[in-house]
Amino acid sequence: MDFPENLPSSSDIGRLEQIVSHFFPKALHIVLDSRIPSLQSRGRTRDRNLNLKKSDKWFNLIMGDRPAALDKLHSWHRNILDSMIIDIILIRDHDHAETVIERWVVQYENPLIMSPQSSDPCTRYQKVYKKAIILLRSLYAQTRLLPAYRVSRQLSSSLASSGFEMVYKVSSFSPPVTETMTEFRFSPVEVPPGRLCASVTYRSDLSAFNLGAHITLPPRIITDYVGSPATDPMRFFPSPGQSFEATSSFHGRAGRGPPSERPHSWTSGFHRPPTPNQSFSPQFSPDFHCSRTDGGDQHQLSPPFSPSGSPSTPRGSNSPRINVRPGTAPVTIPSSATFNRYVSSNFSEPSRNPLPPFSPKSTRRSPSSQDSLPGIALYKSSRSGESPSGLINHYPAHKLTKESKYDSGRFSGLLSSSGSPRFGFSRSPSRLSSDLEDPDCSCPFDFDDVDESSGGLQYSQSLDRRKTSSSISQSLPIGRKSQDAAVGVLVQMLKTAPPLRQDSSTYMASSMSGVQREGSSVSGTESEFSMARSTSDALEELRNYKQLKDLLLSKSKSVGGATRVH
Amino acid sequence: MFSLLTVMADSGPKKAQYERDPYTHTVAHEALETKSEVESFEIREVLRCILHTIVFHRALGLIRPKDIDLELFDITYVQCGEIEVEKKIDDKIEQFVTWIGKHPNKKSQICLTFYEVKTKQPSWFTNKIERLYWEQWNINLSAFQPPTKPPVGKSHHSKLVMDPGEESEDISSRRTLLEQSLQEVLFQIIKFVNEKKDHVPPINDGVIYCPFEITFPSSSDSTFGMDMLKRMLHSGGHPSMLS
Repeated sequence: MDFPENLPSSSDIGRLEQIVSHFFPKALHIVLDSRIPSLQSRGRTRDRNLNLKKSDKWFNLIMGDRPAALDKLHSWHRNILDSMIIDIILIRDHDHAETVIERWVVQYENPLIMSPQSSDPCTRYQKVYKKAIILLRSLYAQTRLLPAYRVSRQLSSSLASSGFEMVYKVSSFSPPVTETMTEFRFSPVEVPPGRLCASVTYRSDLSAFNLGAHITLPPRIITDYVGSPATDPMRFFPSPGQSFEATSSFHGRAGRGPPSERPHSWTSGFHRPPTPNQSFSPQFSPDFHCSRTDGGDQHQLSPPFSPSGSPSTPRGSNSPRINVRPGTAPVTIPSSATFNRYVSSNFSEPSRNPLPPFSPKSTRRSPSSQDSLPGIALYKSSRSGESPSGLINHYPAHKLTKESKYDSGRFSGLLSSSGSPRFGFSRSPSRLSSDLEDPDCSCPFDFDDVDESSGGLQYSQSLDRRKTSSSISQSLPIGRKSQDAAVGVLVQMLKTAPPLRQDSSTYMASSMSGVQREGSSVSGTESEFSMARSTSDALEELRNYKQLKDLLLSKSKSVGGATRVH
Repeated sequence: MFSLLTVMADSGPKKAQYERDPYTHTVAHEALETKSEVESFEIREVLRCILHTIVFHRALGLIRPKDIDLELFDITYVQCGEIEVEKKIDDKIEQFVTWIGKHPNKKSQICLTFYEVKTKQPSWFTNKIERLYWEQWNINLSAFQPPTKPPVGKSHHSKLVMDPGEESEDISSRRTLLEQSLQEVLFQIIKFVNEKKDHVPPINDGVIYCPFEITFPSSSDSTFGMDMLKRMLHSGGHPSMLS
């Protein structure tokens, strides 16, 4: 395209004007989107590139649908020569003291006197547009780097009141700020006949506001937690809730935990569900780190106990495991002694060829882990008023499985009966109970492969040592749903059932039965659970167990005792 | 087994510098040297953050930005959202980390270079494709291996948390320092991409991000220099200012 040497063409002028006039709302959108949760765009999902509005394509930066409020805000900006000043203000609740913590200024400077030679022939609108794009890119990145971003995330994700509110003000004129602020000026972009300028003045130190005080408390484990998300989905669960509330990733980060966490970036932003790692309560045990010989690729746990959780990467194999619904209640956690008993027995086994695979069950959790992500997001967004949907329903089952002698297949069935995405795994009973009782366990469902060989042995021992009645008594009154009651009754029944024989074949029996059970339809087991169980049912169950046990004993003999267990 | 690193970030436009000084990666801007050390698993986070931030500013096609929160630090950076970019960067980082693991106690540099592809008439060079490099970012790291300490939280079940006290204090203070440094680096990147925009090639239709390559010395520094020289020769004449 050839242009006259000195003057841009008329079409260019029009385009340049458009660039300037669209620059302001775009900058406004970028700034407020990152600071004010209520103005965050809804449409920022990956799969909606097809229906982009033209306005969203400006400057090649898709922000999602611009909230109507932003359009209204911008409508006052008639004259492009007016500055646009966006103030981000913190208001203290009790005395309404306002402090400007950030001020963004976007301006189109048009010097009255502009010599013709200054209009560079190279300033075609494409170049100008390109530079404006870069400017907005850096503006976007800068919004994420400045302290106000963190503050805004803290305020929006905090479940408890922090005593502050973040508001914004858009104006053309503002009194200069009095506090010492740092200024950053973006390089202006020449847009003939003027130039676009942007700058930000910000308080670099926001510690005076005591915003994150309640969040930086180290997470505590509540060992005798009584509560259910079914009772109050919006309830704030304090200690594991430390990580739950902080489904935004910057809680529980940055050196709070021991440093040997596994590195990965969280793909979380305002608009995408955080990875499971963010939201997991500190229930992960480092001990399992060594014990993962089987299915190890799926069960990599970060060694140290970390309040920030996230033992596994968000990618691929590990995410299926983290199926503890982050938005749901924590469970009663047993003492670590109980748990470690299992672990140490595992360690003494040099080669644990995994029992017939519980790992496939782990993989089967993949779909549910995908489901868990939206669940996490939903939980988080519930803070901003959206309903968490049925995810919290999953959880009641967890805390009820204490002495879970019952078959793991049932467990999965039970879970799915609550309408959640299926966990799709089988658990051996003793393992499951240890999961839930150990405060330092990793995700309860991680223990599949670890406990398998030892669970059978210490099974009966664990029955004795585990807290039984307390957990059951806790669980029953909690659950309002019939499922909870049914599970409680089931557990009670299983508790009272005689233990299986203490040898490896026993364990294989339980695991194999788990495999078999997996194949059974979930709906069948669902209906079982929902019915009240009578003694005859229990006896029937016992008979089934015995049959299975015999079957597996015979099988194990043929296998030749492949798995050695202490 | 930890390996600790120091991180430095340099950046500078390279077009004019190539002729003068192809081997030294001239620093056009203040080098930001951090005194803090980076553990091996932090390398990935740090590198990913830096590389993505740079590429984000050079992905001038229609993109949907993706905010990523670092796990280890209180920092959020922006990715351009393109899967190929992410994969490419991740692959390179993995290669680099592997390389670092094999060559501890060594200074190394990872370079992110943007180029423009120009097809040329077949000439003496069999390859018709010509790459004109127009920007290069250098990230200098030096890795050294401290005395081995036992991994944390390994077998003893009672030691579920790292011992509070000296060890974790050191590490957390180091990490805080590193976080501040990383933040500084990101500010620098933003500052630099703002300052110089003219050399950026025009946006082509359908091209989302400027093609780039990430290189690091695969064996020694001298070889790395040779690689640079080869690349220089390969690219034909000196890269001219692209308008």
